[in-house]
Amino acid sequence: MTATIPELETAIDRLLLADANALDSKDMPGWLANYAEEDQASYYCRAAENTEHNLELGFMFDDCRARLEDRVTYVNEIWAGTFQDYRTRHFVQRVSHRQVDARTVEVVSNFSVFMTPMDAGVTQVLAAGRYLDTMRLSDDGGAKLLSRRAELDTSVLPRYLVYPI
Amino acid sequence: MADVTLTWPKNYNEVPKAAFTRSDLYADEIKRIFHGPEWHPIAHESELPNPGDFKTMRMAGIPLLISRDEAGVVRVFYNACSHRSNQLETAVMGNKTEFECPYHRWLFNAKGDLVGCPNPREFLPGFDKADYPLGQPRFELFYGLIFVTFSAETEPLDEFLGEAGETLRELMAGDGRLKLLGYQKVRYDSNWKGYNDNDGYHAPLLHAAFKMLNWQGGKGRQYTCTKRGHVCFESALSVASGPSVLKDKELIAFKGQDPSVGSRIVQLFPTFVSTKHLDVINLRFATPVDAETTEVHYAYFAHQDDDAEMVRHRLRQSSNLLGPCGLISMEDASIFHRIHIGSHTPGNAIFQKGVRDPGKLESEFLQNDESGNLPRWEYYRSAMGFERAEA
Repeated sequence: MTATIPELETAIDRLLLADANALDSKDMPGWLANYAEEDQASYYCRAAENTEHNLELGFMFDDCRARLEDRVTYVNEIWAGTFQDYRTRHFVQRVSHRQVDARTVEVVSNFSVFMTPMDAGVTQVLAAGRYLDTMRLSDDGGAKLLSRRAELDTSVLPRYLVYPI
Repeated sequence: MADVTLTWPKNYNEVPKAAFTRSDLYADEIKRIFHGPEWHPIAHESELPNPGDFKTMRMAGIPLLISRDEAGVVRVFYNACSHRSNQLETAVMGNKTEFECPYHRWLFNAKGDLVGCPNPREFLPGFDKADYPLGQPRFELFYGLIFVTFSAETEPLDEFLGEAGETLRELMAGDGRLKLLGYQKVRYDSNWKGYNDNDGYHAPLLHAAFKMLNWQGGKGRQYTCTKRGHVCFESALSVASGPSVLKDKELIAFKGQDPSVGSRIVQLFPTFVSTKHLDVINLRFATPVDAETTEVHYAYFAHQDDDAEMVRHRLRQSSNLLGPCGLISMEDASIFHRIHIGSHTPGNAIFQKGVRDPGKLESEFLQNDESGNLPRWEYYRSAMGFERAEA
């Protein structure tokens, strides 16, 4: 597929917004559906502070599709009913992209996530940072995440995380 | 005579909820406990493996700089210039063999010596750089784990640790030769005692994961030691068997050598928690931020002798298993918050499981007993000078 730049940007933005929408809707199967159907599909969430010091450890380290599927199980089955639930609102903005080959594009975007605990009802910032994404492009003009690294500027989180950032 | 008072119930298994919530206790706790005769783990030397590596952090508000000099010697300093106390280093970690205060350009080496300052002829007559090294708290190392104390009265570290030292050594892979994997840092909306009373160990009833993973636990020893009631758990490892809901079973795989030291928890008064479970080695450096906030830096480690595959396994397991977003521990974090909220109600928290006689303290417990926390509460009461009600 040879996409024009506007077509490519539209595909990227659709995927970024679909992911934000799935997360803010707590739709974990919908979140998973934004990832490519490839074994190496991955999601990482970690403090940029770790990355800058060559420390790979993260808050979430889902380096294969099986772990992405397990994360749906964590949230929907294993953890159900044990935590103080909270709403999130993801604001995401593409800042750069680079097409690697006909099927692959690397995308950097900024994000900020607001959190509103259901019990307290007071909104605060949960995290800010960058998504470093590798996306797979399909023939129909769509895009899926092959790899996402949520790199948090927020090195000290204001609470535990239930949902991916 | 205590500066603040709180009447303690006569039964050892009752803790006044006001202890978690009364903000007027906090300043006294800082003075008597955090700046008093206690040892606080603040780092493991493997976090700064190379000459010139440093780490900064704050313990109960006190800014600290831990640095390794060119010869490899680790020291702890107050992270404040010896001139006007400007915060000296702002990076959380890095590599430097000299630290320069930008305010008046005083320059210190990694041994803490003042090696340069502009225009000293304009200073007090007789000014001598040798009189102005970086200030240092007392510190000691235990298998690489760096402890500080802010009191001259604190007993030597070995006495402070007591029997817990042996469990702690086993927890740190037997020899403390660790390799840093990274951090998970988080703030909890909880008084430090709410964090401390509920991290480490608690009823597995909370953790649905154990059931869903066909993971049986609960066979092991829990003991407390020293007058402070440090809590230690020693169990052989139980590995999940049977069907599992997980597609990636590596998350709960054990690849270590010796399952008999597979599971260890050491919780030292006042706030330190450490755990080794499966192949996760986790030291949790915790500090109160204020009366209602506790900051915890979960630091994870491999062993220096691990091959690349084992390091990778530990990395994958550590990130997803036991921290503030971990498969079997995320709920803990929620409990810290909820205990703090729920404790703003009248009366006492009453411990039940494992309590045989509310008029006596014990030191050996079953693994799932909650009564293991009670010796620590008794020490807290006495450290704060609170009177126990008459029987």
